[in-house]
Formats: sequence, C-alpha cells, structure tokens
Amino acid sequence: MSIVKTITPAPPMEADFASSRYRMIMAARFTVGGFAREWAHCHLLANYLARYVSANEGDPERHATLLSTFINELLEVIYRNHAADGQIELIFRKRGRHVILQIALPVTEQNRVFYRMAVQIVNQPDLKSWYRARLEEPAEGEDTMLGLLELAAVYACTLTISEPPGQDRISLFLELPEVDEMGEV
Amino acid sequence: MPVALNMRLTGDKEQEVTLTGTLRPFVAEEMASVRRSLEQAAWSARGALCVNLKRLKYMNNVAFLELNRFVRWAASARPDLRVKFILSSVIPWAIRKFQVIAELYPNVTIEVYDKAFYPIQHVIEDDEFINVLRTQEKIIWEHEQEKLAWHGMRPGLRVADICCGLGDFAILLQRDFRPEYLVGVDHSKPFLRYARQVVSDFGLENIEYQYGDAAALLLPDSSFDFVTCRLSLQVFNEPQHILRELLRICKPGGRIYITNELMAGIVAHPGENLIRWTYDKVIEIGHSLGMDMDTGLKTREILTDAGLEDIKIHLIDINNMNSDPNDFGKVVESWTYVTGQMCMRSSQPPEVFERIKEGLMAHVEAINSDRGFASWPIYAGSGRKPFRA
Ligand SMILES: C[S@@+](CC[C@H](N)C(=O)[O-])C[C@H]1O[C@@H](n2cnc3c(N)ncnc32)[C@H](O)[C@@H]1O
Repeated sequence: MSIVKTITPAPPMEADFASSRYRMIMAARFTVGGFAREWAHCHLLANYLARYVSANEGDPERHATLLSTFINELLEVIYRNHAADGQIELIFRKRGRHVILQIALPVTEQNRVFYRMAVQIVNQPDLKSWYRARLEEPAEGEDTMLGLLELAAVYACTLTISEPPGQDRISLFLELPEVDEMGEV
Repeated sequence: MPVALNMRLTGDKEQEVTLTGTLRPFVAEEMASVRRSLEQAAWSARGALCVNLKRLKYMNNVAFLELNRFVRWAASARPDLRVKFILSSVIPWAIRKFQVIAELYPNVTIEVYDKAFYPIQHVIEDDEFINVLRTQEKIIWEHEQEKLAWHGMRPGLRVADICCGLGDFAILLQRDFRPEYLVGVDHSKPFLRYARQVVSDFGLENIEYQYGDAAALLLPDSSFDFVTCRLSLQVFNEPQHILRELLRICKPGGRIYITNELMAGIVAHPGENLIRWTYDKVIEIGHSLGMDMDTGLKTREILTDAGLEDIKIHLIDINNMNSDPNDFGKVVESWTYVTGQMCMRSSQPPEVFERIKEGLMAHVEAINSDRGFASWPIYAGSGRKPFRA
C-alpha cells in the first residue's frame, strides 16, 4: 500500500480554544526526563488523568476505563518518540461530549518525521486496510505506530498535528469519539 | 507490570485460558509466559480454545499484537482449532477491538458472554415497570430501614450495593445513614441512567453508579465496610458466584447484607387456594429457569457457607395492614409482567398464564379487602467477613 496524498485536516486553532464551545478540564506539565524514566508512568498517568477527567460522568468508572485506554496509547507512543530534554504538556478540553487532548512535546527531526507520517496514515481514506495489513503481516518486535492507527481505525479518534515554525516542539491533537454519560462510544 | 494470568481447564473438549487485570507490556517479550500458556493450551485443546478476557481491564497494542500473532500461529499450527475470545460488555474498549481480529481470521470467533444473560431484563426496564419497582422499594424500605442498624449499618461507611436497580436504596441510605461513599453496580443501563439522574437531581456527590456484572466485579478486593445485594441472589442460577464477589470486595470485619423473598410463604385470604396454587406454580417455573424464589429460607445457609461470622437474620414482614394496601396491590399486579415473561421463556401453555393472572388478581383483591389479610415475607440476613480466612 502506498500513502496517497491527502490534505490532512488542520489542527484546531489556539483562538478556537478561547471560544465558549471549548471547556478546559485540566492541564498537566512534566519533564521528559521524569516521564521517560519508567514505562509504568504511561499506565499510571493514563489511569490518573482518565479518572480525573471522568469525575463528573454518569458512570465515571466506565468512562475512565475507556479514556485510559486512549490516553495510554498516546502516552506510549510519546514514550518511544521524543527528544531527550524539555517538557511535555497535556491539556484536556471538552467540546460537547468530545474530549480533546492536546499534547505538546519536544522532538528530534526523526521524531518529527515519524509523527507527520503517523498523522498522514491516520488520515488516509482506506485507514482500515492499513490497520488490518499491520495485523496480517505483523512487524518483528514492536509496531510503534499501531497504537495510533488503532485509535483512529477502531475507535474513530481523529489525530492532527501542529508544528509551530522554528521550534523543536510539536503539538498533537487527539479528538476522542463522542462518549455518552454512561461511557458508551 | 501488573499482569495476572491464570489458566483453567473447562472440560476435556475445550480448554480455557483466562487473562485478567492489566496487560500493558513495553515489549512483546514480556508476554512470553502468556504466549507459552496460550500455545500449550492450543496444542492440547480439541475443538475450541477459549481465551477468557472478561476481566481484562486494560490492554495495550503490544499485548494485542502478540495475541494477534498467537492467532496467526494457531491458524497454521492447529488449523482445525477454533479460537474463541470471551469478552464482556462491561469492558468498554474490548468488543470493537476484537471484532477486527474476528473479521480477519476465519478460525476466530468472539462471544460477549453477558449479552443477554438475564432473561427478563427487557421487561423490567420498561418505563411503567420502573414506577412499580419504585413503589416496591418504598414499601420495603419502611420496614427494612428499622433493622439496618442492627445489621451493622451506621454513618460514615463505604457501601457497595450490588444489583442496585434504580438506586432508590442508595438515596434512602444517604438520607438515613450518611455513608461516606456509596457505589451501586447493576447490569441494566436504563436503570443506571435513572439512578444517576436521581443522584444529580439531589446534588449528591458521594454516590456513584457503575455498569457491571455482579459475578465479575471490577471493584477492588477488601474495599467496602458494608456490601449489600438486595432481592437479587434469587434471580441468578448460580448465586454462589455473586456471593464470592460480595465477599471479595468486603473488608475483613465488614458486613455482607442480603435480602431475598420466600415465595412459599406468601399467604392471603380470601382466595387462599388459588393464590397458593399460583405462587407454587411460579416457584416451579422459576426453578425451570434457574431461579430460586424461595432463596429467603436459605439465608442462613448461604451466609454460613460463605464463611461469614456473627450471622443475623430478620423477617421483613410486609402485609396489607402495616403497608399501604394500594401500593402493595400495585406491586403484586405488576408481577403479571414478570410471570408472563417467565411463562413464555419456559413455554407454558397459555392457560397456565391465564390462571396465574387470576391468582395474582385474587391476591390483589385480598390485599384491598377490608376483611382480607395478605403477607409477603422477605428475609434479610447479614454476616461479618472474618479477619482471617
Ligand atoms: C430484582 S432486581 C432488584 C433491584 C434492587 N436491588 C431492588 O431491591 O429493587 C434485580 C437487579 O439485578 C440486576 N442484574 C441482573 N443481572 C445482573 C448482573 N449480572 N450483574 C449486575 N446486576 C444484575 C437487574 O438489572 C436488576 O436491577
């Protein structure tokens, strides 16, 4: 399969976030060094953040289990692909019943290429076939992009990227599917 | 990494591997023991291998890819073997994810074990029926509440109400006993929606509801002071699975509280013969569907067999003189829905249901009669979880 040229959707604009359609839920900032010290941080952070963000839902436990699954996949990708120094910033916002997760991180050129590629594949029209192909011909060892593909192909999350010019940082925006108050997608 | 793995044999034709807890490995090698167990099971299994993921709460893509590799391996190493993933609707991410695998490989099927395991669920989720359940809750509470303190309920406890239904019990407990925190678990989303609406209407913050299976709770071990399960053990064909869960989530020194009907003890006059026939028939049909409507009588046995100490039992005696006969009558009237469904599910001839309906009507008449007497016994029992097992 080859990547077809598509116009990848634009990330939301900073100015949008000021509008009343977006509700800020929480923000967290930590150093790459601290985060990358232990793999379990992905799991622990995902569970903690998911639980916090789900506090006011009808079935907080169910909502949090689903959210943790999504956040964890994103954090695991970040764990494997980031520059050595700097800060990671996570911002959770809500628009209607969608949770939108923005994650800003320091990147090397190689990381940047990886994330651009991931966003491009995730936005391919035949994303499902891409995802299936990776299962049917599994790579040796880990498939570091599979988690992101799964978020989009299986759970209908959308992924966009924003690259502020002249910086070695990028922001990824993961818009989660609409989840009802009972934690149903 | 917190990974739990245990294997269990279920009969000689099918082998089952159960994965529980969290599977979020960094690399596939961490899955080596899981992979080995799966392969061993696949070699010895005949027909189908069940991979039970009912209680696998989290799984990342590294683990998923490894399961995918296993399925591919099985398709070539054991082409005649079916791999069946057993999933639960309680785990919100699981079904979609495994659907992909089931579509990709002909040797894979998925089964959602809790899809329709409570046969009369859709009847009781009906709006009209919800009103009746509320009435029922109201008349029972009036009598139940008096003895709850004797069973060990007091302010400031962490309480879990398993099979909580509409959640009225939680609201009443909140009013009269001020628990520190209360979680209600049920397998009916419409009921939980209702329960949650009530909680938010009252602005209560310490009550939470969860969609779950009472026989496979995701609540942690030893985490509640008081665990209740009201009028529910009687509708399950294997109540011991639920009891095991109640015991697991209860703190040592905490108490488990259950209530169950004794249908054989329902009496009413006038019309006693038809009424007695009716309830005997319902008990019989219940048995054929795996329900024991006389569970109340076995309260002591159930609590003793569960290993509880300091067992206490009392009778919640509802009759038409100590309860509002109008409400009591409405509750009995509503049993036509439930018994109708039970008759259908057990393929009773139509005349049986007709006669049951007549019996229920006679019961309602006795309840509303100025000279009649009607009683409905429910047994409430509790016991303490020992500090040492
Ligand atoms: C007879 S009602 C009792 C409800 C409530 N405790 C009361 O006293 O009114 C039984 C309840 O069990 C729930 N239920 C059935 N199967 C269940 C399961 N496997 N796990 C949790 N709840 C279940 C039903 O949805 C229903 O609300």
